[in-house]
Amino acid sequence: MRVLIAEDDAETAGFVEHALGELGHVVWRAANGEDALHLGLAESFDVIVLDRLLPLVDGLEVLKRWRAAGLGTPVLLLTALGGIADRVAGLEAGADDYLVKPFAFAELAARLTALMRRPPINDATTRLEVGTISLDLLKREVRRDGREIYLQPREFALLEQLMRHVGKVVTRTMFLESIWGFHFDPQTNIVESHLSRLRSKLNEGFASDPIETLRGVGYRMRAHD
Amino acid sequence: MTRIWASAAYRVAFTYSAAFALAILLLGLAVYYAADADFRNQQDVGIAEESAGLFREYGEGGMPDLTSAVTERETMNPADGYHYAVFDAAGHRVAGSLPIPRPNVGARDIQLTDAKEGPEAVRALVSALPKGARLVVSIDSEAVERIDETILSLFGAAFVSVIALGIVGALLLGGYLRQRLARISGTAQAIMPGDLAGRIPVSARGDEFDQLAIALNAMLDRIEQLLENLRQVSSDVAHDLRTPLARLRNQIESALDGPGDPQSQRPALKRALAQSDDLLALFSAILRISEVESGALKRHFARVDVSELAGDLADSYMPAVLDGSRTLTASIMPGLVVQGDRELIAQAAINLLDNAQRHTPEGTAIAIEVTTIGKDIALAVTDTGPGVAAADRPLITRRFARLEASRTTPGHGLGLNLVAAIAAAHGGTLAIEDNHPGLRVTLLLPKLPA
Repeated sequence: MRVLIAEDDAETAGFVEHALGELGHVVWRAANGEDALHLGLAESFDVIVLDRLLPLVDGLEVLKRWRAAGLGTPVLLLTALGGIADRVAGLEAGADDYLVKPFAFAELAARLTALMRRPPINDATTRLEVGTISLDLLKREVRRDGREIYLQPREFALLEQLMRHVGKVVTRTMFLESIWGFHFDPQTNIVESHLSRLRSKLNEGFASDPIETLRGVGYRMRAHD
Repeated sequence: MTRIWASAAYRVAFTYSAAFALAILLLGLAVYYAADADFRNQQDVGIAEESAGLFREYGEGGMPDLTSAVTERETMNPADGYHYAVFDAAGHRVAGSLPIPRPNVGARDIQLTDAKEGPEAVRALVSALPKGARLVVSIDSEAVERIDETILSLFGAAFVSVIALGIVGALLLGGYLRQRLARISGTAQAIMPGDLAGRIPVSARGDEFDQLAIALNAMLDRIEQLLENLRQVSSDVAHDLRTPLARLRNQIESALDGPGDPQSQRPALKRALAQSDDLLALFSAILRISEVESGALKRHFARVDVSELAGDLADSYMPAVLDGSRTLTASIMPGLVVQGDRELIAQAAINLLDNAQRHTPEGTAIAIEVTTIGKDIALAVTDTGPGVAAADRPLITRRFARLEASRTTPGHGLGLNLVAAIAAAHGGTLAIEDNHPGLRVTLLLPKLPA
């Protein structure tokens, strides 16, 4: 996978580049808005990490010009500004995801992976299947090995997210954003308590657990249970 | 003079009096010309009537009657201003006293040169009589000229006095305006060096200046409040960030001082990481509060169904609350809508739900309620925990407020402060009451019609 990192802080860019390199990605760097603008259009990338405040040309401006030029590459906007108004402006400019600095690398990696390999499943799909688990989006019905499992709406949404990103990490904040629409971290771990209920309902009478917990990072659905 | 002209107050006052003087001048000229034309027209009518009378005499008795009538009229009424002359075909004056040569027929102004009184203008009508004779009837223009002069001098005097009054008025009005404005700018001058306590004096009249002063004073109040807030935040931040930063520093220092093997350093590093995260969370909370307090988010406000939101939150929190060995019940009146930001209202409710769990013992019954109180929507989170002493209730919404009782629980004392800020940003309030037993915290938000 080819990743472009447009970030003027050499330390942050180096840290991200090194860690992504370890995961086997090819990383290109741009240290200012002009280079980023040029590189983004000249080279082909699977995902772009764009800092919001860049020298020469502002990050938001770079993003707007990319989108105006028809560049469809997923862009994760990185910012030190965590305000609501800033997030809205970023998404309006065409960002696919938004991460506030400072961030845990695992969070960035999970989000980039989610952006890079856009699930082959399109939104019109009405049925998801992973191993012996099937999820019917129209009937709101979940079955494992043919046996129906009754889930609460939020448990259903958690399972749907995991199945859409099968084999990939989904972090706590990704769940909070996609299911609850919260861009902040409640003190109470509502994700964990819903997930533990989902897990016990899903695993009742089965020996294996299809959902992996990655401590301090998030959860992952195994491709085969 | 340039100093006075530089003053808008004087300039406006002077411009107005100049415009008024100009209006007087135009009016005077109009009256002058209208009156002059009218009087001259009357004179023409007068001499035409005189001529007609004399023509009748001529028609009755020919030239002898005419000459005797002319002589009679000149001697009988010398003061009415009419003068006559009758000329024969040869150009000799045969009657009348007008000292002129034989004129041509028509109405005309004639200049007489009188040895005694100097030149004198008369208005004359010259009529043709049979056999080349001429009848001239004239009237002095002197009366008209006198009236014209009177009108001119009256309006001249009026013009001068208007200008004089205008200057005096402009100076007085300008001075008054300057004095009223000087009070406002004086207050501003006093505030600029940094003393925000000054306010513009407001008189009891309630005029435009007082309204301006009231608006400016309200602005100063708001600015002072914001500055105070800022000052408070900076000192709080300086104070409250020092403690966790010091702890973080100690952690790193002791890890460095200890044995260099990774086994003993790992826990210290882990604690240091946790403390950094804690500091970052504190920063986010402070920034979020100041973003909410700035009021800049109002642009994003939309209709928010509080009933639906509270129902969602109750469903989302139920499992976690049960996991913490407490109970959560919901009693929600449906369809209550406010104008606001969904995420902020959610965060406010979540902070209340988090508090209800963190500051209460196991077994506590927590409830979330949505009802209406008057024109407001009341979103309340109640618990049956230890509650807060009445004296402490006003304190707990302050920034970095930590009661002695909660010193041992984690937190920065920003949760309720954020809730209060969110309430204020939505034009609402936060009420903290006794739940008999426990605590009842109510977020009151203005209700929108459904």
